[in-house]
Amino acid sequence: MFPKRFVLKRLLLLVPVLIGVATLVFSILHLSPGDPALTIAGERASQEFVERIRADLGLNDPIWVQYIDFLGNVAQFDFGESYVINRNTSVREVLADTLPVTLELALYGQLFGILFGIPLGVLSAVKQDTITDHATRVGALTGISVPIFWSGPLLILLFAQVLGILPTSGRISSTYNVAAIRVTGMVTIDTLIAGDWEMFRSAVRHMLLPSLVIGVYSMALISRMMRSSMLEVVRQDYMRTARAKGQGAKITVLKHGFRNALIPVVTIIGIQFGGLLGGAVLTETVFAIGGIGTLLVEAIEVGDYPIVQGTVLTFAFLFTLVNLVVDVTYSYLDPRIQQ
Amino acid sequence: MSPVPSAVRDRGRLVAGGAAVGAVATPVLVIGLVAVGGFAPLSAAETAFAFGGLWFGLALLGWAGSVASGRAIEAAQEHLDADSGWTERRSRRAMARIGGFGAGMMLVAPIVGTAVG
Repeated sequence: MFPKRFVLKRLLLLVPVLIGVATLVFSILHLSPGDPALTIAGERASQEFVERIRADLGLNDPIWVQYIDFLGNVAQFDFGESYVINRNTSVREVLADTLPVTLELALYGQLFGILFGIPLGVLSAVKQDTITDHATRVGALTGISVPIFWSGPLLILLFAQVLGILPTSGRISSTYNVAAIRVTGMVTIDTLIAGDWEMFRSAVRHMLLPSLVIGVYSMALISRMMRSSMLEVVRQDYMRTARAKGQGAKITVLKHGFRNALIPVVTIIGIQFGGLLGGAVLTETVFAIGGIGTLLVEAIEVGDYPIVQGTVLTFAFLFTLVNLVVDVTYSYLDPRIQQ
Repeated sequence: MSPVPSAVRDRGRLVAGGAAVGAVATPVLVIGLVAVGGFAPLSAAETAFAFGGLWFGLALLGWAGSVASGRAIEAAQEHLDADSGWTERRSRRAMARIGGFGAGMMLVAPIVGTAVG
């Protein structure tokens, strides 16, 4: 049964989260040095011109009036227009261009983490204290410890420079025009929809290294969590009962243990997604992929406040939404959660 | 018997206590910024508002995070054998107090700003 009440409660929690993030971003930007009007006008602009921009943007109003206006606009997902990066373009449009890039990266990273992390965790638990277990645990520890800005260039060096089998940067070969086939903004999906296999192959090859880099941390954390969760589950009475009834070890683990062991892992996957979005900032920089992370860094550098506000709020919205999905999955796996 | 449930009264007290401290702290901060920092009075009140906004925003996020994922974090700590003594209930209460403090500052700063501006 679909947990309507539970989902509604979780959706209501979106409101304080978004107000909290909006307030935090607004306050930080107000407290940080720099004058947005001067940023737009440029250093050499006349004082009258700067004053006119200030009046146009409502910067002459007291901060509490600006805050109320800002919250009103945010409620309608209107973050205004970009000051510097894409002048006179609405932030919504800029985000619509860059968000799919980051989402694609984070999704493949997460997929990589789940596809490899869960089986490795189960294997490690089932083969506890064997060489397989030790190797998996050392691998997980390494995955958690190695930073993206180090593993990224090393993988580029190995796969692109030494072996020459994967491209170093970008989302697709520059010979292809992805703008012409844009549907979702995610190149691998757009090329698939267009049915162009050559382009699809190029997009997948470009996505492999960044997904690997971003997904390794996720994989390490998931496998570690899966192992400890599985170890706890296999000691439960119902597992012993299943074995006593003559069920094979493999079936006992997969049929009775797996679903129960998955509950805490699902939580980690959700929390991890936020980490992946954050990690995308670094990965996009290392692999020269122009996503929302790169946009945020650039906007902070040049003082494009509407882009900063829009980007951070979008991140917060996405993160909360993913957590909602995780909560629903969680309540499906363990209906007691709904109580 | 009071028509307000005790749980609501308890929470209200938490927020109101924080807000009272925030309300008192605002004029002190404004005077300090004017006297020591050399701020103009209105600019000092605006800075106090933004400062209150930091606390308020942080607390709202912390509170919502605790409500949404508190239990899960408790469970994860238990699973990873890394119990730090953090609990969802205590986190919620702390955030309510901090949020009250920020809200108090944000409410009083415009009054101070109007009075001095």
